[in-house]
Amino acid sequence: MAEHNEHAALLAQSVGDYVQHGSNLPRVRALAQTRAEFDRTQWQQLADFGWLGVLVPESCGGLGLGLAEATIVAEGLGRALTPEPYTAVAVLSARLLEGLPAGELRDDLLAGIASGQRLPLAAWQEQPDDFGGLQQTCRAVPFEGGFRISGEKRFVAGAAAADGFIVSADSAQGLALLWVPRDTAGCELKLQVLADGRSYGALALKDAVVPRGQLLATGDAVRAALDRAIDHAAVTASAELVGVMKRAHEMSLDYMKTRVQFGKPIGSFQALQHRAVDLHIQQALADAVLRDVVRQLDPATDAAARALATSRAKSRCGDAALAITRAAIQFHGAIGFTEDCDVGLYVKRALTLATWLGNGRAHRARYARLSAQASQREAA
Amino acid sequence: MNTDWNALSDEAFRAKARTFFEGEFPEQYKFLPRRMRWAECRDWYLKLSARGWLAPNWPVEHGGMGLSPTKLLIYFEETERAGVGRMPDQGITMVGPTLIRFGNDAQRSHFLPKILAGDAIWCQGYSEPNSGSDLASLRTEAVPDGDDYVINGSKIWTSMAHDATHIYVLARTDKAAKKKQEGISFFLVDMKTPGITLRTIRNIAGHEEFCQVFFDNVRTPKANLVGELHKGWTIAKGLLGFERLNIGSPRRPLFALEKLELLAQARGLFADPAFVERFSQLKLDLADLGSLYGHFVDMARRGEAMGPDVSMLKVWSMDTYQKLSELLLEAAGEYAPVEGEVDFGGTAIDVLSPFYNSRPGTIYGGSNEIQRNILAKYVLNLPS
Repeated sequence: MAEHNEHAALLAQSVGDYVQHGSNLPRVRALAQTRAEFDRTQWQQLADFGWLGVLVPESCGGLGLGLAEATIVAEGLGRALTPEPYTAVAVLSARLLEGLPAGELRDDLLAGIASGQRLPLAAWQEQPDDFGGLQQTCRAVPFEGGFRISGEKRFVAGAAAADGFIVSADSAQGLALLWVPRDTAGCELKLQVLADGRSYGALALKDAVVPRGQLLATGDAVRAALDRAIDHAAVTASAELVGVMKRAHEMSLDYMKTRVQFGKPIGSFQALQHRAVDLHIQQALADAVLRDVVRQLDPATDAAARALATSRAKSRCGDAALAITRAAIQFHGAIGFTEDCDVGLYVKRALTLATWLGNGRAHRARYARLSAQASQREAA
Repeated sequence: MNTDWNALSDEAFRAKARTFFEGEFPEQYKFLPRRMRWAECRDWYLKLSARGWLAPNWPVEHGGMGLSPTKLLIYFEETERAGVGRMPDQGITMVGPTLIRFGNDAQRSHFLPKILAGDAIWCQGYSEPNSGSDLASLRTEAVPDGDDYVINGSKIWTSMAHDATHIYVLARTDKAAKKKQEGISFFLVDMKTPGITLRTIRNIAGHEEFCQVFFDNVRTPKANLVGELHKGWTIAKGLLGFERLNIGSPRRPLFALEKLELLAQARGLFADPAFVERFSQLKLDLADLGSLYGHFVDMARRGEAMGPDVSMLKVWSMDTYQKLSELLLEAAGEYAPVEGEVDFGGTAIDVLSPFYNSRPGTIYGGSNEIQRNILAKYVLNLPS
């Protein structure tokens, strides 16, 4: 634990330095125009810092740390509006692979994530609001050389830069995970442009053929690893949202202290003060919930408790970030509605992160469902 | 008696608390829709004291349980679950922590055991008829005379003063001070002192829970001055920190949530997705209050003074309490205005009382609007 705290402190310091010196909103704007959403040198830098390998086991070249450390990185990257798909790759994919039985392909992919050389992305979701990945229509049909995969996957964050996908599909052995390189015949990737300049990948698989060696895992292990990875990614996205909301609210408060109307700084007006305070409370709640949930999840938590905690974090952080960034437009007045004003970048990032892996409403619904089940169990 | 409660697992501690509160709290007072009078709760108070369970928030060396934030939350959750009534608890929640922090050894060794023994029941002499939100404008005065201070003036909205044996009082000791916050001192006063009279005030729910207290040449020994002369505002602010921590605890809204959950089950409202969305929003609002509360309890346990940001807890806790009480009324349909317990197919629920009981929470201890002013000025550093 002491070693853990030391790691966390060092990491917090280097993330702080990165945010202070590495924040580069012109770069964020430029990338949003290109659809690349990804800058190879920047990505390599994140790898060199060790951040991409935070969750990768040491045996695969990573740091083998936990969610506490991953969320420190994510909050900093959120604050800096870094567009590179940290959470999608270094948390969702890494956690998913890490949760699977060891094997040559799985270990290679994990090592590739840590080194920054490979970008495998998890393609599991087919329908909105289905962050449990329960609605799988994608099928993997075996033939003597391997599998033919057919189906559609959506909402693959970071897909623009992907070099392949970890695809979930129903198979004769239950739910299966298969590695599908981007250039696989029968695998078509379409990019849906998002408000923040990033994109979701929509993957159409039509008899995409992958050799048997690209089957990563099947059965209950897949379900467990997938559920855990999605929850951990949702918590990490919540940490990004905390970074986004804190910076946006700071911008609002700074503006309220300097913008003068009616001969006074607008921040002296009680109507605006109370609004700013209510949003600050949302930020404090988000921060407190995130910390609590990370503490709760870092050791191996049972699946039901983990899902409840995750839904708490994602619903609070998502809705708080949306409220704070929307209000930032209002606090800034007309200038807040211009493209030149940086406030808009935060609004758009909040919109993307707050809805990816389930929005507030969806997570509240899951929370309600799971807590009803929990009280039924308690009653019985 | 010196059990290390924090060494127990959360589940084990919860089980202990549940057995104790459910089994031992008197049936006839469970889920009482008002605060308990001293005559009603004396036995329970003494039972808690004998078990060492009276002061969950105090450090162990002063006779408390020294609970960690998580354990303290469990303690509150279990008291609410079992319907344990609210006692005159100012000694436990306010005076104890203040003397531990600001008092001297003589005051601690005199008053803390009396609180634990149920020999000293405290009430708070802060607000005055013309000093509500603007508390620092208070005019009750204390003048030194020999070994005593002589107090004249009046305090109002003094909860449970009619059950109290002692009152802590903010009084002006230097009228010439430049700022109104300077020249205020903090006194401990025995309610039996000649010159103290009181009248009870009936509240909107018809209960007599608060009073006006009059001071007519009331003498209190100089030894009962807490902290430095003229520096009472600092203590008051420190104490307000504890008060906001206490008001900001999830225990009162938890009570309303318990009732709402029972009512919703009895009326089958969980089949209505619109209700479920509002219910789970509020349930999460409360769960998240628990996380924020834990953060501040941690600070208090480390002996840190409550900063102005603790006002967040009070705002959020009381706003959430009111929203829960309003959803409870809405969920009751036509039964909303019915006084007393209503039978919902075998489940008896008083739907109206939480509505009344949650009203003053956004007014006392500094209204929620004042809390927002404080947060804007001292936490967000917005200009005035």
